Formats: sequence, structure tokens, C-alpha cells
Amino acid sequence: MTGAPMDDNWIRRLNTLQLIVAGVIIMAPVVWMALSSFKPSFEVTAYPPTLLFSPTAENYAQLFKTTPFFSYGVNSLIVTLGSAGLGLLFGIPAAFAVSWTRISWPAILTLAARMAPGTLFLLPWYVMFRQVGMIGSYTALILSHAVITLPIVIWVLLPSFDNIPRSVFEAAQVDGCSVTRILWRIALPLVGSGIAVAAILAFVFSWNYFLFALVLSNGDSKTLIAAAFNFVGEGSTQWGVLMAAATLIALPPLVLAALVQRWLVSGLTLGAVKG
Amino acid sequence: MRVRTSIAISLARAGFAVIAASVVASAASAAEFDWKKFQGKTVTFLANNNPVSQALLTHKADFEKLTGITLKVDGYQEQQMRQRLVTVMNAHSDEVDVFMTLPSREGQQFAAAGWYAELASMTKGEVAADYDGAGLSQALVKAGTFDGKLTSMPMNLEGPILYYRTDIFKKCGLEPPATIADVEAAAKKLKACDSGVTPFVSRGLKPALPYTFSNMLHNIGGSYIANGKSNLCSPQGKEALETYSRLLRDYGPPGVVNYSFYQISALYRSGRAAMAFESSNELRTVMEGGERLKDTALIAFPAGKAGQVPTAIGWGMAVSAYSKQPDAAWYFVQWATSPAVQKMMAVQGIAPPRSSVASDPEYRKWIDEEPVRQQWQAALDVLAAKGSSEVGYPIVANPESREFIGQAVQDLILNQKPVDQACADADKGLDALIAQK
Amino acid sequence: MSGTADTLTPDRQRLELGALSAPAVLFTVGMIAFPLLYTIWLSFQSFSSTGRQSFAGLANYTRLVGDNEFWHGLWVTLALYVLSLVLQLVFGVWLALVLFHAKRLPGVVRSLFISPFMMPPVVAGMMWLVILDPSLGAANYILTSFGLPPSDWLASPSWVIPTVALIDTWQWTPYVALIVLGGLQSLPPSVYEAAQIDGASGFKTFQRITLPLLLPTIVTATILRSVDLLRFFDIIYITTQGGPGNASNTLNIYGFRVGFEFFNIGYASALMLTLTAIVFGVVLAFNRLRGAVAW
Repeated sequence: MTGAPMDDNWIRRLNTLQLIVAGVIIMAPVVWMALSSFKPSFEVTAYPPTLLFSPTAENYAQLFKTTPFFSYGVNSLIVTLGSAGLGLLFGIPAAFAVSWTRISWPAILTLAARMAPGTLFLLPWYVMFRQVGMIGSYTALILSHAVITLPIVIWVLLPSFDNIPRSVFEAAQVDGCSVTRILWRIALPLVGSGIAVAAILAFVFSWNYFLFALVLSNGDSKTLIAAAFNFVGEGSTQWGVLMAAATLIALPPLVLAALVQRWLVSGLTLGAVKG
Repeated sequence: MRVRTSIAISLARAGFAVIAASVVASAASAAEFDWKKFQGKTVTFLANNNPVSQALLTHKADFEKLTGITLKVDGYQEQQMRQRLVTVMNAHSDEVDVFMTLPSREGQQFAAAGWYAELASMTKGEVAADYDGAGLSQALVKAGTFDGKLTSMPMNLEGPILYYRTDIFKKCGLEPPATIADVEAAAKKLKACDSGVTPFVSRGLKPALPYTFSNMLHNIGGSYIANGKSNLCSPQGKEALETYSRLLRDYGPPGVVNYSFYQISALYRSGRAAMAFESSNELRTVMEGGERLKDTALIAFPAGKAGQVPTAIGWGMAVSAYSKQPDAAWYFVQWATSPAVQKMMAVQGIAPPRSSVASDPEYRKWIDEEPVRQQWQAALDVLAAKGSSEVGYPIVANPESREFIGQAVQDLILNQKPVDQACADADKGLDALIAQK
Repeated sequence: MSGTADTLTPDRQRLELGALSAPAVLFTVGMIAFPLLYTIWLSFQSFSSTGRQSFAGLANYTRLVGDNEFWHGLWVTLALYVLSLVLQLVFGVWLALVLFHAKRLPGVVRSLFISPFMMPPVVAGMMWLVILDPSLGAANYILTSFGLPPSDWLASPSWVIPTVALIDTWQWTPYVALIVLGGLQSLPPSVYEAAQIDGASGFKTFQRITLPLLLPTIVTATILRSVDLLRFFDIIYITTQGGPGNASNTLNIYGFRVGFEFFNIGYASALMLTLTAIVFGVVLAFNRLRGAVAW
């Protein structure tokens, strides 16, 4: 018979304890970063570290004064949504096909771009995109970032598609469904949590990636992440403003993650397919 | 050595009297000079987002109004900017017209790669009457000249200087250090006198430390190259290696092998260090919050056996060899390095590479507002007068040479090798670099 | 539930499946073919300091084999990789389970749990640089408050690799947890119900049932982490620049400096391609594992 209610309670308490411990370790540095964004720069590196301080919005003011934050943010958003979207568009069908046929090489091929150091692509891509006059265009940035998001989408969705029992597909095939129909109507609804994870990861990776934007963007299409670097340098290190930039930059991915949580914990699982 | 430096300076003076003369000569024909000659063109400027360019770009509108040229600015943090520049230049792209460069580090490397447009002819050609090319620090101009080719015009003057706590010194009964030996003696006394404070802090991070180490090496009378071979194992070289590493090992903060300007400035600013040997650029960062405003003195690094040969470098404005409009680009360069603009930058805290600006009454007024600024400028005057731009080996592979210098010092700080082995290992690698063609 | 799907697939279906993966394949080939081929070509060239180029055959690769820095870099890369991967997998699965059982956790809090890897790498590096500073940082402050001896952390030649592994683990464990959490969601509840009827205890359920079912997801997380860990760059570049000495000089850092700072493009290309080959080998090995644990 199942455990007595007292055991369940104990297990639940243990889980809560673990949750708190994990939460403290994980979030303490993040909280430190957010708090530091309200401290004047010299106080961020003060010793002993100060927990109580009088907050100032000076860092944020300075940030908006020196950086066209909003326009960089829009650039980042366009590039990230574009590359995450492209990654999902190409990645979902590819993951499905790889899962069905158990032929891995397409998935490994897309991962090849992640096997080489990013700097390997800088010069060739600069030359390539310069040839067609696309330096500084959103297209160049979206395409290069999609090279990052595509393998993530595929590999995160692979186990999700693998988990669907073949019998489901066989039944649909008997009914005369085309492969694409099976993907669209049957498989896709079952991998909701996988897609949620893939979307979050694709977004975050593209959002925080700065290397390609370094050579493929120009002043107009510069992304937000480049702004973060502006506050570290000889004679210009501003810890407080850096933390402010970091806090703002981390917000969109967090908001997305909070929104997409639903699919992560909903009942859109195989349970719905039982029987 | 002092003799060598003054010979170098005389050579520089002689060599650049030529350039100065040609600039003066062309000034005579300045009546033909027209700021608006390239009206309507667009010049792209790849900037390193440091205080120097930030100060310059506050006056961007002035330039655009004066010349009718549209200035497109692409600004990045230093390391990122270099990555972008290297990629653009390797592709021989005309995307960048003007860029900031650090001759002491990459000058010879970029010059060998053919990335700089030659500027001497431009200083002879289209130059405004009041440009005063000869008024620019000849040492810095020389530092930007490779194989007789003038590659960049100096924007500012900077170098490592010694920041120290007058109040702590007084408390421990110490006089301001006049020699390197004084520095070490002071550090020893400070360690005993005030245990809550790190006596001495400077750069220990491998690629960063040659900047400060070179100063000490030159003060002691050492040189990187002698008779075409790496010279770290010379008596002076060894003395410099030992002294620098000993100061950091015995009197420096824990973890000093990772220290660059971030940590040094933070440590000194928070009051936890008595002496900090770090770039003059860090003045603003160190003074943030105002705690160190009244108890800090600044001097050029104290003399060694060869006197004071401080490291004095500066950023330069260069024109890309692949630019499709070098003449228009040159207009921006000469505007940016003109006396008028450098005076405006000076009162924004950028030490000028022109003695005329440094002694300008308006600038002096700004300097006199704070005693710490007076000391800062006094230290920089020493740099301007006696400075050497040699940071790392004067070869094309300068950046790589810094790895070996840094490794040798770190070997000693971490007590991983005796000094003879450390310098020998470094010399071996460096000889190979020097021999590279 | 295994290979029979293939034999049932008529040619038409095979064509459709090919068409489904074609966009991804074509896109990838279009984007990476030129860079890879160009880099391969570069690795067979040698560049003089004046930019003069000449064919060098296998010279760069022979140099690589005899280069102590390369072998040391390989050791650093692998040590960091194994240490980080093990820590992240163990803690990642644990965190996923904890989050899975905390069903009533508000979404906002849950997303904070996975926030560390949303921090830009430059910020994470600078932040840990301060926190782990032996004189200025909170880490030693906390240690000494508990009477423990302070550490040099990133400045210690012997402890820099474990310290970097810890930083990376802090940042990327939530990433692993997220992937595993997604996998946990798709486990059929019927399996749990059966286990409960049999009276299996919590840990036994995990060991006998959950873990094997999670293996495909864990292998995915391993593969995705591996490609990033083997190319470790950002944190090291910002904090130690490969130091002290070369104690944290991974192959990616080494290759980057050879190419972008020392301008030895030919040799840098050889280094980068060797690193790519190593990552490729690791991915192939784990992919085989993926096939073995699929259900």
C-alpha cells in the first residue's frame, strides 16, 4: 500500500527544504546583481559587502543617458524573435523526421555549427555578407543567430518526439494520414513542454549572443548585449551601471520564461493519449 | 638607460623636425585650406569606447558643422573593438575610414600588416593653419612611426603612475618614496604598521602586467632587447623581475596574479591599499565617491638606477589603408587632434599630448580646482618629458611578447621557478619571436 | 515500439520525412559550408608577419602536435569539461525533480530558479570576479565569518579549474534542470500509478522507473552542454584570461589569442579545427548512447 500520510508530509517538507536551499544558492548572486544596480559604483566593490544601503536610480539614469537602450532593445528583440522563430520553424519538422526515421545525421549536422568556436565564423561570414551588402541588416543577424537556435530546438525536441509511442503514428498511418499531418495534428500537441523549453532556450541563447553581432551589425542594428560591454574598460568601469544594464537585459528572457511556464507544467502530456 | 633615452629623444627631435618643417611649410599655404572641401561625405569612425573617445565625441556636432561631413560612429569596448577591427581589416574592407589605435601594443603589428594609411604626406598636404603638428608630443609621434611611416596622430597621454595614501604614510612615519628601494622599504614598514591595508598593489594578470612592469624595468636600466637578443636575463632584467614580483608577492593582496585595473582601482578606492601602481586613466574611477580625494598623492614611479623612465603611451587616430576616402578621413583625424579640440578634451579629464594645451590657462584652472588633479598633471608632465613608449618588445609580435614577460613575472610571484630559470625560459621563447620575419 | 516503424514507411512517406528535415539541413549547409572550408584551407597556409601567405602543407598540424601549450590546453579543457558536466548533470536532475514536485510554485518564482543562465556572460564574469576576489569579495567574507580559511579562488593555479567549474555549474545547472523538467513532464503518469500500486518508495521509484525513462532527456542535456563546455571561453576570458600562468587556458581561449592577438591565422585555424573535431567525436559518442537508451 502507498505510504502513510505522515510519510507524504515528511517528503513534502523535505522537498520544500531542498527547494529553499536551491533557491538561495541559485538566486543569491542574481539578487546581488539586481541590488547592486541600485548602488553607486564604488559601493558595489566595497568591503565588507553592504546589505543595507540607500538605493539610487543614478545608474539607470546614466544608462539611458549614454546608451540608446530602447533602440538597441528593439534590435535585439527583432533579431532574437526572428532567429528563435526560424529555429522553431526549421527545427520542429527536422526533429520530428529524425525521431521517426531514427536517422541522426541531420541533427548532428545542425549541431556542427555549435562544435566549432564561434570565432571561426567571424571572418568568413563578414566576407560573405559583405559581398551581398548585408552587413548591418537584420537578416544577416537573424540568419547567423538561427545557426545557434536551430540545433537547440532540434535536440531538445528529439527526446520529446522519441517519447511518443510508435503505435500512435501507426494508427494514424492506417487512417491514411500524411506524415506532415501526423506532425501537425498529432505529434505537435503532445510535445508542448518540449516546445516551451526549446522556445525559452532559443530565445535566451540568441538574446545573449554578442559575437556575431560584433561583425555583422553596424551602429544602427547593434544589439543590447553589446551595450553591457561598454561599462567595463580601463578608465570607464562603472560597476553600478553594468549591473543596471545586466538587470534590464535579463528581464525579457525572464518574462518570456514566466509566460511560457504554463506549457511546462500543464497537463499537455502523454497522459492525454492514454488508451 | 638615461643616455639611450636622451639619444632617442634627440633622434626623434631631429627626425621629426623634418615633419614639423613640412607642416609649417604647408601652413604657409593654408590660405587654400578649406574645411568644407569634403562636404556631404560620410566618414566612418571605429571607436574604442573609452573616456578619450567619449570626450572627443561630445564635440561631434562641432566637426559636422565645421566640415559638412557626416560622421558615423561605431563604438565598442576595447577588446571587442579590436576583434571587429581585425576582422574588417583582414577582409580588406573599406567599411572603416578612421579608427583608434594603440601604437605601443599593436602599432608595429598593424603596420607590418599594411593596415595604416601613411599620414606624413597628409600632414604636408591638406592641413589647417593652426594644426601645429610640431606641437604634438614628439615622443608619441615617434611611437606611432614604424619603418619611417607615420601611422597615427596622438590623441592623449597616459601611463602608469603611483597612487599612494598620504594619511597612511604619515601615520607610519614614512616620507614619499623617491626611489624604488624607498617603495620597498615603505611597503615593509606598512606591513608592520597597518595590517588592515595592503601595502602595494599593481598588475599581476599575465597579459596586463607588462604595462606596469616595463616602467620598472626601464627605471632600473634594463632593456628588452640587446644585440638582437632577448635581454631579460641581464642583471638589470633579473633585478626588475625580482623586485616587481617580490613587491607583489610579499606586499601585494592575495590573488594578485589575477589583478588588473578593475581590482586595483576597487581595492585602492575602498581604502584597502596604501600604494597602487596603475594607469593614470583610472583617476576618475579611483576618485569615485570622493573618499580618496583628499588623502591621495600621485607621482611618476620612483627612480631606479637609471632614473625615471616612465611608460608614456597614448591612443592614436589612424586612417585605414583600405578606406576609399582617406582625404576626408584625414580631415576628421586632424580636427580630432588639433589644439582646439584637445583643449576641450583636456578640461574633460583627458591628458593632452600637447605641452601647449597642458600649459593653457583654462586647463590649468581646471587642474587647480583639486590638489589631486594638480598632482596628476605633475606626474603626467614627468611622463611627457621623460617617457618611453616601450611596453613589451619593440617587435611586430609585441602582443605575443607580453605573454612571455607576464609568464616570467607570474612564475616568480607564484614561486614556481627560480629567477634564472624564469628569465631563461622567457628569453628562449622571445628569441624565437624576435627572429620571426 | 522500435524499428518496425521504418519498415512500415512506404517511399512516399520517406520523401515527406526528407522534406521535413530539408530546410534545416540546407540552411545549415548554406551557412557553415564556406566558413568550414575556408578555415580548412587557412589551416594549410602560413602567414608571415607582413601578411604574406604561403602554402604550408601540414606544418601547422605538426606544430600543433609538438606544442606544449596545445596539450596543456587540451588537459585544461577536458578537466574542466568532465568536472562541470558531472556536477551539472547531477545537480540538474536533482533540481528538476525538486521543481517538478513543487507543483504549486508560482510561475514567476519558477522562472527565477532558471534565471542564472539568462545573465549575459560578461556580467556573470564581472560579477563573480568581484564576489570571488580574495580581498573584496563576499565569498571570502562568508568563509571567514564562519571561521573557515579564505581562498584565492580564481587566482590559485590549483583551484582555478574547480572554481570556474563551480561558476559554470551555478549558471548552467538550471539549464540542465529545465531540459530535464521538460522531459519529466512528458513521462506517462500511468507508469507512476503502476509503481504506486506496487508500493515503491520515492527513491526506488526514481531509481528503477524515472531515471531510465529520463535517460534520453539527460543524454540530450549532456550533448547540448558538451558542445558548449568543450568550447569554454567567456567566463575565463573575462576573469583570468587563461591564467594564472596558463592554468585555465582552454583550447578555445588559446586558439582565439593565437588568431586574434598574435595574428597567426594559419595556426589558429588548425587549432580551431582540432577542437571542432574533438567536440564532434564526443557528440558522436553520446549520440550512440542516445540510441541505446531510447525506448
